[in-house]
Amino acid sequence: MVRLKSRYLLCGVCVSDRRNLSLLDDRAIYTATKAAVARAHGDYGAALSSLGFSVKYLNAHTGIVFLRCRKSHYRLIWSALPFITSLENRGQRVPCFLNCLHVGGTIRTCQKFLVRYNTQQLHRMLPLCQSEAERSEIRKSVLSCTLKKEADDEEEDE
Amino acid sequence: MRRADIQDEPATYERLVYKNTSVYHYMRISLVLENESTRLSAAQLKQLIVSGLRDLYGEVGGAFPFDLLKFDESTLTGVLRVYNSGLVKLWSALTLLGFYQNELCFFRVTQVSPFLLTLSGNSRELELD
Repeated sequence: MVRLKSRYLLCGVCVSDRRNLSLLDDRAIYTATKAAVARAHGDYGAALSSLGFSVKYLNAHTGIVFLRCRKSHYRLIWSALPFITSLENRGQRVPCFLNCLHVGGTIRTCQKFLVRYNTQQLHRMLPLCQSEAERSEIRKSVLSCTLKKEADDEEEDE
Repeated sequence: MRRADIQDEPATYERLVYKNTSVYHYMRISLVLENESTRLSAAQLKQLIVSGLRDLYGEVGGAFPFDLLKFDESTLTGVLRVYNSGLVKLWSALTLLGFYQNELCFFRVTQVSPFLLTLSGNSRELELD
């Protein structure tokens, strides 16, 4: 049985101003990625990558994006990610860059990586906390974070 | 100085077969324009091919190195050299190139070979005496 394999690119959107992060939506990322691939790889790349390309998950609080693409040409999209400089949303242009953190074969492996990555980030950021109030707030937000049955989002507010 | 106790081995016969040593592929092309009296320089032809590559394969494809080894301005024929990995891209870009400065044109590929010597003659222009 021939199985259609896909690759999920786990990317983090980095913006200079955290308030702009909440303006993101998946259509903006979709169009920005398609435009970047068309610029970097031409008509051939744009047509090839648009097969089976979609934005599967977007978390506006942490800026995590899952991009899904075919296994045969996920590298085209991966190599075009550094060329994305801004996201356009309802007439507003937000300068940002997409940082690819992980490439996985399924959403579940990407989420496992995301849990590990978030715990590492937390371990890195907790010692840097200035005041005890921040620390207690972080602890509270982590403890209140629940893993839903579908395991859709694991968000931890820093 | 050879030591006496080492015996000379019988001369071994070794045969080396190279599957394909050539790193490049060479193409003889000719440009056919709608208006027959237009002339191009070598630089303009290279710019045209690069623009064709860039349309089809983007910035990454347009940056692929290839060389125009010979170009005859009166007949608009030339010899291109490209790395083996880029042959398909270059050939497909040449096929799909249709315009030069709002003028219809097309590229005719006469010969393609990994060895330059093969391009020195072909049976179409062979004269038998």
